[in-house]
Amino acid sequence: MPASLKRRLTPYLLTLPGALWLLAFFLVPMVTMLSVSLQEGSLEEGYRFTGHWQTYTEALGKFDTQLLRSIWYGAIVTVVTLVVSYPMAYWIALRGGRRKNLYLLLILLPFFTPFIIRTLSWKFILADEGIFLGALKDWGVLPDAYQVLATSTAVVAGMIYNFLPFMALPLYVALERLDPAMLDAASDLYSSRRQAFLKVTLPLSMPGVFAGCLLTFIPAVGDFVNATFLGGVNTTMIGNVIQREFLTNNDYPEGAAISFLLMAAILVGVLRYVRKMGAEELTV
Amino acid sequence: MTDRERELRRLLASAPRHNVSRRDVLRGAGALSLTAWLAACGVSGTNEDGGGGNGGSEDDGLTTTEQNGQFSFANWPLYIDRAKGRRPTIDDFTKDTGIEVDYKEVIDDNESFFGTIREPLASGQGAGWDMIVVTDWLIAKMARLGYLEELDHSLLPNFEAHAGQVYKDPSYDPGNAHSVPWQSGITGIGYNPRLTGRKIKSFDDLFDPAFEGKVGMFKEMRDTMNLTLLGIGIDPQQATVDDAALAQEKLIEQRDKGIVRNYYGNEYADALVREDLWLTMAWSGDVFQLQFDKPELEFVVPEEGGILWVDNMAIPQGAENPIDAMAFMDYVYDPKVAAQITAWVNYICPVPEAQDILKKADDSYTKSVAKSPLVFPTPEMESLLYHYKDLDEEEEEAWNDLFGEVIQG
Repeated sequence: MPASLKRRLTPYLLTLPGALWLLAFFLVPMVTMLSVSLQEGSLEEGYRFTGHWQTYTEALGKFDTQLLRSIWYGAIVTVVTLVVSYPMAYWIALRGGRRKNLYLLLILLPFFTPFIIRTLSWKFILADEGIFLGALKDWGVLPDAYQVLATSTAVVAGMIYNFLPFMALPLYVALERLDPAMLDAASDLYSSRRQAFLKVTLPLSMPGVFAGCLLTFIPAVGDFVNATFLGGVNTTMIGNVIQREFLTNNDYPEGAAISFLLMAAILVGVLRYVRKMGAEELTV
Repeated sequence: MTDRERELRRLLASAPRHNVSRRDVLRGAGALSLTAWLAACGVSGTNEDGGGGNGGSEDDGLTTTEQNGQFSFANWPLYIDRAKGRRPTIDDFTKDTGIEVDYKEVIDDNESFFGTIREPLASGQGAGWDMIVVTDWLIAKMARLGYLEELDHSLLPNFEAHAGQVYKDPSYDPGNAHSVPWQSGITGIGYNPRLTGRKIKSFDDLFDPAFEGKVGMFKEMRDTMNLTLLGIGIDPQQATVDDAALAQEKLIEQRDKGIVRNYYGNEYADALVREDLWLTMAWSGDVFQLQFDKPELEFVVPEEGGILWVDNMAIPQGAENPIDAMAFMDYVYDPKVAAQITAWVNYICPVPEAQDILKKADDSYTKSVAKSPLVFPTPEMESLLYHYKDLDEEEEEAWNDLFGEVIQG
């Protein structure tokens, strides 16, 4: 094979495993789901492809509340985790010193226990008469009827807790790469600390903010575990709806249609965000 | 799809005349193959040709009339007596009859278990089990689809002699043609009198604003909808979709007033023990077990009526060892065997005589089982019990939609 041809083929050969992987495990399920969403029928009669796109409009009409609620919850979770993680990541990256790795380990430590167990344990901690609220009620700090569980606060708080590391780690990576000499230079040029932060640190950490927001927002919108365990009435998220359509009602077309609506909503949001932030910042 | 093919052929045939470009044809072919792919991704149903609504064996009777010395049995977890890692009832059965039992605890809920056996049954391959235990409404559904073998009642003398009257000729399976009960339970109200401050008697107590945020309901559609229908004075068996809409209204009102804390699955029991719930829809067997840890808890069948659900033994269409399975069905209706299972399982025993046997036991635990109305309901209690409505496919979808709006607010 001539060297020039080889050189031209190499990039394609290198991308081949990844491309095949995507084809098998992303494209095939997507197309299958798309097909299911356009089928009609029942479990007993079977489902047939009829191109019944009305399932989409029906599903959107039925579950618009849950879809908007999920996006709203996801947005709150993203903003709060960003505000909470930024100072933490900043401090570890720039002031962590020799113990940086220990602090990072502390952030990661909750990951050593399964997601479900961590979320379930909040049910015990926040029980109406549990160790925390029970004690506060006994002391008269809280009224007897006060509850945290089964409210939207509990769902959002649970998600913030569970998704915090997804925000903190990319932020840390971005801030860690920051060259301290840049900050010295800024102060040499008579910038105040506030100006140095706004003009140097913050712009240089934007790739981390960007990646963190994506990594938090996307799974948060589709999450159903927190709403299942910590939520109550009127906290149902779109993930719960999908789960119920597939596993309880056996209404595969509607479940598939909602999944696609969710995906479309996220995709539109993310694309707008990417365009605004500039795609080159994706390369953290 | 065949129309598409024809269209494409016509397109190709007319190509020279109409100057159809190669690109146009390719585009047509691409659309065709995409449609073909999309269509091929379908989920096959039960009423398609080939598989047939009546399963593989055309309903012409059992695969065999002989005992084969073995059968496989799919049951729910913790649903048969255990001692020292063995299952005494199974062991005794094998000793008495020489029939080996392949016993597996593989059923966690009706819907997903049915999902695992539906496809093979639809294509006539058999479920892979000689005996299964599923709830009454699924018995009705499977019988309607032709997925269950008919039982030979001449092989079930113990059932005829010892089964309680309520368990014979049930509405979900007339004449016990396809099933006999395994254990059953009641859907009613479980509560903590210390927290509610009064005895709970009525379904309407679940709607009392005084218990705002402390009331639990089930996310299981059948339980909640049927109990609510009873609560508003409608016999579920007679309920129409309009009646179901009335029940939905009632449930939405309860939700929007903030009275319901949440819609629960099995985890309602923990919430009741933790005192997050003061009163909740509950299953009788659970409350009986919870009372050992928290004796103050009580269970009541609301005066408007409660649901008696029955888990039944049945033989899937095309089972290889149906006669052996029926031998077991009959064996557990021996009152002594029934007593042994009930003493451990604590659900409602379909054999009333088992109560007398348990009463004579030496230990206080077994005596408490014998005395509990949750295991042996009193006649007054029984008079208040109704079955789930048997829903056809269309009604089921309508009810699911109505109920979905309630719990997914």
